[in-house]
Amino acid sequence: MNKIFFIKSFSVCCPDVKLLGNIQLQASDIDKTLIPVDMRRRTSMATRMAITAAKNACENAAVETHNLPSIFASLGGEIQVTDSLCRSLDDDATLSPTQFLNSVHNATAGYWGILNHNQAATTALSAADDTFAMGLLEVCVQLQSQGGNCLLVCYDELWPQYLTPPSGSFAFACGLVISLEATGALGSISMPQINVNSPVTVSKEQVLLAQSAPAGAAIPLLLALQNKNSSWVPLNTNSPIWSSELTVFQ
Amino acid sequence: MNNNQALIPPVAVIAYSALSACGQGNKALHQALSENKSGLAPLEFLNVPFKTYVGAITQQLQSLHPELIDYDSRNSRVALTALNDTDAGVRVAIEELKSKYGSQRIGVVIGTSTSGLYETEEAYSELLRTNKMPTNFHFVKQHAYQATARFLQVELGLCGICYAVSTACSSGAKAIAAGQRLIASNVCDAVLVGGVDTLCRLTLRGFHSLDLVSENPCTPMDRNRQGLSIGEAAGLLVLEKCCSSNTNNMKLLAVGESADAYHMSTPHPEGIGAMSAMKNSLRMAGISVDKLDYLNLHATATKINDRVESTAVYSIFADNVKCSGTKGLTGHTLGASGALETIISLIALKYQFIPGTHGLEELEIDCKCQVVKTPLHDQKLHIAMSNSFGFGGNNASVLVGL
Repeated sequence: MNKIFFIKSFSVCCPDVKLLGNIQLQASDIDKTLIPVDMRRRTSMATRMAITAAKNACENAAVETHNLPSIFASLGGEIQVTDSLCRSLDDDATLSPTQFLNSVHNATAGYWGILNHNQAATTALSAADDTFAMGLLEVCVQLQSQGGNCLLVCYDELWPQYLTPPSGSFAFACGLVISLEATGALGSISMPQINVNSPVTVSKEQVLLAQSAPAGAAIPLLLALQNKNSSWVPLNTNSPIWSSELTVFQ
Repeated sequence: MNNNQALIPPVAVIAYSALSACGQGNKALHQALSENKSGLAPLEFLNVPFKTYVGAITQQLQSLHPELIDYDSRNSRVALTALNDTDAGVRVAIEELKSKYGSQRIGVVIGTSTSGLYETEEAYSELLRTNKMPTNFHFVKQHAYQATARFLQVELGLCGICYAVSTACSSGAKAIAAGQRLIASNVCDAVLVGGVDTLCRLTLRGFHSLDLVSENPCTPMDRNRQGLSIGEAAGLLVLEKCCSSNTNNMKLLAVGESADAYHMSTPHPEGIGAMSAMKNSLRMAGISVDKLDYLNLHATATKINDRVESTAVYSIFADNVKCSGTKGLTGHTLGASGALETIISLIALKYQFIPGTHGLEELEIDCKCQVVKTPLHDQKLHIAMSNSFGFGGNNASVLVGL
């Protein structure tokens, strides 16, 4: 079985770009123009951020979005919409149908499909602190059975701070196009695993980042790609640590 | 279409367990299907400003161990009760697989649309009253999507892959797809898959805001259908790679997936996405269209869904396949429906009968498919399919075989 996968591109979307200054990770702000006005009005911060990251990753990889399978990984998903609906439940007034539709975890996946006329399979998943690791694993497993390319988007928006502070105190999204084909790849990555024999170290800074932005668990991989550092990279911050071996092509 | 080589290896279904408005355990579900006896009843235990019927679980639910109490939610209790049903034997099967393969080689992938939202709604009532969340509220362990999957993993002493799939009403079917792939990739030797969803006000009122909820028990595929009856359920299945010990077990052949890319709540009018999910499942399993013996329809009983599904089914199978929709028995169990209805398809194969379509009197005028009203017994069935189509145009068709 193929255990090596190729990273064609990556992108980072962080609405408060300054937050990433300390760790020197380059990111873009949300690009609202990527979503047509009619649709934009209905979308959440989570969706706009995830679509910015997705679009930029696809552009960087120069892949067609028309038939590209995708995985959308997020711990909280559409938490702001869900929060607003939960706050209105003690009132008998009719809920907003648009808000209800937007509260499903696969709302972003749905909008991404509509935006790109993309009828390929798309999945929305969630795995607490392991969300990025499980998203990457699901991508690798899908590539093994289906081949081709697959888009991974990992994102979490700002959360109400009474839920589980400090989680969601900063918003972060990233996109990666991963492939079975090496052509034009930035590097290769191994199937995520729990590496008992040579544990990967996770810095205190990484733990703090992931605590405030769940999707920030992707930052070690993104930094290693940006800085062209081949190494084992952690994919989550709580034990057991999932990791992958990244080899960056120079 | 001819029989071709499968594009993904089949996996064995070594145990399954259902808990729904049709009762606890596979025997209760088999009996309800066999007698076409509905579990729908007027909604009582939730306060919503309209009348409707629901498929509520009426059994006493088991309580979580005190040390796992942070995971306590109706969703987790429903999952635990299904897990511990001794007749179904899901727990015993997992224990045996643990000794066979090791706890890190058994994954857990559970589909859900709202996870522990029932408890979250209660917590919000307190938040609005007191400006504080209750002290026993655990967002990640109770509310977040993977909460029930993680609870099952901890409860079973497993330590490998664990995540939730949440793609609205196709969640349970997509979790089954993920389990098969994890085994095909040799990342897992066995996977506990399924779907668990429980009634809550947000879902009921949300569907009502879209004008999709019926005041009376739902009537799938009927020309006078008026919308959904929402239900709750757990459907758990244990998948194992094929080996000498499970040659006699029923098999998961393939799951076909697709997206409509059309509209967030309305299916593609020609059923393009639904067709492609059904075709993909046949293609991946290497099965020709004439081999399908039974199709469990998504058949939610909304005006447009049933019409579009009829069109899609007819375009692939014409009127050659016996179909039925079982949501008149269980209600639409949302993220659990793909798993529950896969189990219904397995029960149909095991006992060689075609379930009926409770509530159906006069068939939808445009439907040319062979929709079965009352159960047909003494059939010869080998292969069955279960359709699940969710919001966001997210589709999955599960194909199982004897």
